[in-house]
Amino acid sequence: MRTLSLLALLATAGCTGESGPTEGATKAWETSGTLVIAVQEDMDNLIPIVSQSAADSYVEGAVYFGTIDSGFDCSLKKIPALATDWEWSDDGTVIKLTLREDITWEDGTPMTAKDIAFSYDLVRDPDVASPRISYVQHGIEGKFPVVIDDTHLEFHFTHAYDRDTQMSHITALPALPEHLLGEADRGSLRKHAFGKSPMPSGSWKLAKHEAGQRMVLEPNWNFTGPDEYKPKLNRVILRVIPEYATRLIELEKGTIDLMQSVQFEDVDRLAKEHPNLRLVRRGWRSMDYIAWNQQNDLFKDAKVRRALTTAMDIDHMMGQLLTSESGEVYGKRSTGTITPALCGVHNDDIQPLPYNVEQAKTLLAEAGWTDTDGDGFVDKDGKKLSFTLTTNNGNPRRAKASVFIQDYLKQAGVEVNIEQLAANSFFENLRKKDYDAALSGWSAGLFVDPSTIWHSDVVRGIDPQSVNGDTPNCNDEVTDNCVEKRYEFNFVSYSNPKADELIEKGLHTPVPEESAPIWREMQQVIYDDQPYTFLWWMDEVIAVDSRFEDTTINVLSPFGNLHEWSVPADKIKYER
Amino acid sequence: MLKYLLRKLVLVLPLLIGVITLIFILIELSPGDVADKFFTPETTPEVREKIVAKYGLDKPAWFRYLLLLKNLAVLDFGTSIAHGEAVTTLIGEALPNTLILSVVTLLIIYPVGVALGTIQGVKHGTVVDSGASIVSLFFYSMPSFWLALMLQLYFTLKWELLPTSGMHDPVMYEFMSTPEKIQDSLLHIILPGVAMGVASAAGAARYMRSSVLEVIRQDFVRTARAKGLPERQVVSKHVIRNAMLPIVTLLGLSLPFLFSGSVLIETIFAWPGMGRLIVSAIFSQDTPVVIGCFFVFTLVVVTGNLLADIAYALVDPRIKYD
Repeated sequence: MRTLSLLALLATAGCTGESGPTEGATKAWETSGTLVIAVQEDMDNLIPIVSQSAADSYVEGAVYFGTIDSGFDCSLKKIPALATDWEWSDDGTVIKLTLREDITWEDGTPMTAKDIAFSYDLVRDPDVASPRISYVQHGIEGKFPVVIDDTHLEFHFTHAYDRDTQMSHITALPALPEHLLGEADRGSLRKHAFGKSPMPSGSWKLAKHEAGQRMVLEPNWNFTGPDEYKPKLNRVILRVIPEYATRLIELEKGTIDLMQSVQFEDVDRLAKEHPNLRLVRRGWRSMDYIAWNQQNDLFKDAKVRRALTTAMDIDHMMGQLLTSESGEVYGKRSTGTITPALCGVHNDDIQPLPYNVEQAKTLLAEAGWTDTDGDGFVDKDGKKLSFTLTTNNGNPRRAKASVFIQDYLKQAGVEVNIEQLAANSFFENLRKKDYDAALSGWSAGLFVDPSTIWHSDVVRGIDPQSVNGDTPNCNDEVTDNCVEKRYEFNFVSYSNPKADELIEKGLHTPVPEESAPIWREMQQVIYDDQPYTFLWWMDEVIAVDSRFEDTTINVLSPFGNLHEWSVPADKIKYER
Repeated sequence: MLKYLLRKLVLVLPLLIGVITLIFILIELSPGDVADKFFTPETTPEVREKIVAKYGLDKPAWFRYLLLLKNLAVLDFGTSIAHGEAVTTLIGEALPNTLILSVVTLLIIYPVGVALGTIQGVKHGTVVDSGASIVSLFFYSMPSFWLALMLQLYFTLKWELLPTSGMHDPVMYEFMSTPEKIQDSLLHIILPGVAMGVASAAGAARYMRSSVLEVIRQDFVRTARAKGLPERQVVSKHVIRNAMLPIVTLLGLSLPFLFSGSVLIETIFAWPGMGRLIVSAIFSQDTPVVIGCFFVFTLVVVTGNLLADIAYALVDPRIKYD
């Protein structure tokens, strides 16, 4: 008896937290094949106003019909989706969207301009405390958006800025069903049941969610939009597998079809032993850098920072840290925080400082640092050039890189102590500027806003972005009209009036073709100052079973446009 | 007996408060807080303040501590900050999965450990004994995560005998009949069960061996042999029964070890249980979940101890609790 009840428990285990099976809708078009994707984390919440995990965004992208679709070719490309047409006013402060009429929510309620307005109303609401509130910070309150009728709406901006950024601010949030969420308590939106089983408007429906195990997407059979958005696969299953080694074994066994972030040392072996896998590079999504804290006297002089960069053989480090077994390098030398993927904006003309120890010593000597006591380390006023390089633990690449850096700088007469901190402490210290030098990283933004990282860290005055062209005229006091704006992510306290000027000019230039030269100049100015030693941009390798066709794997997403993915009839692996 | 158990239960309360206080202090001392999860370079300071206020993180630590105790007094574990779900829901999802894994592991540990230890004790000094000693020592000293990875590598990738991870087949499970579902679930539990149980089974075998050796030298065993009982009966009726006594205690005490072992094993085998829940909660500094999990852990430890006490009294009539 005991054995029997244990068996019954086994058979039902894991079914807790499951949302109901698909009911009602019948198969409305032909589909075949199943795609199994490994993800590291489970989803938390599918209300895009408050969600934050990667799995959340994957599922959201599948279940909601977006205002526009994005493609990527050197910059974000806008593809009509719910919005079929958009029109800018001459001064670039108003955009009018025209929407499709035929999209409905799964329950048949039409999706209208009001649903978009509802999303933006939620984001702005202080009770919701949405982390995405920056989307509305340059929108005029009450006019962001203005609903004209069910298929037309306008967004009014306080001023014109980079059009790609403006566009992303008004389209990054999908419309939400006002008829279902309108009455919801906004203070507890994150706990609303809709976040676990959302009503779809897009190609897919979240048919099943088993907490900690998997999310099952099935076609939204009530989808009313254009035929090309109708999925060709039966199902997409997102399996939660936290451990890298386990994901790799599942991939090699063929029990998962797609895996992200394959480690470079595994790439060659996979290619050789598993010809059924396609290994796709996603370029330049994240970078590593060394931040030199300019609140520390050691790093105030740009000459010292240049010397430190010159003393490191960054290409050699890349050859050691970002390579597969055959020696192929999966990265690119970085010269700034704008990703090379944004090829129209990235400044390719910047010459990275070449590795040259003698040159580094000369630069240090010019800055007053020479080895007077013959201990092998340079000194000035009786103090040797010595500092602590901090990084977060749990990242083997950065751990190895810090040892390389320590060794290179020693050869230039600089003493480096290495410190590894738990990620939480590390990032808190960065924010508090409580460090000497830090080995850290950024992931790439796909539209340009360098202000968060490079604008002078504390600005008193009229918010320079809110008043077009006016000269801020404030004293040091914070009053009603004069605000203090802190750029907290300027960890190094970098401040260069020329860079500030270029950033503000760039942000106020709506047309991308016109702002690109400004951004290129800004990159050069910053690179010359070497507030960071920019190390490298890294590729991400995605492994995907080659039976899938029409796959989209690009800088935007490791598995984009899932509705287009298909398996030819002769390669179908799972019947269901 | 009842009095003894009641006295033990009363002692649980200060123990729980102690554990919770300690955990709370540890979380407070670690830098950063759960609200960090919501911050990006685009998050404005005003929003940050609102988020922090929303989760009560702007209140002083003593205030939050007292609030926590007050809520726990009425068994209100609160809501997970990272997941936006009631802590009881999250634990309710994870606890049964860990319990299943623990039960299966216990089923592996005890029969295997007891059998191996008995054989070793009976065949004391022979090649069988030394061979088994080497094997059990090998598994006893092996890190469970390494064993887990090796099991995956050989049993799933090389020999393709068993599924690699998860609780059931991710693709076909919902299309299976009930017997197939049971079979599928059983197949999925073997590797994590073995990975978790093997080291403990090796430990149990070593306990059992020394226990058998002690018993086998006693007078009543000599008497049994002297009256002409076949050796098989001597071992099964007289030796094993008496040698099992210390092992029963071990049973209750191994429950907490199984729970802490689940932290690694559940991560490697993608098993959605308490171990994984607590790891992710600690990393995201999700205080309500961490406290809730440790609350449950403490209860498990106490229950394990109590069970050991009761079991001991049941199997050994000489033991009386006053």
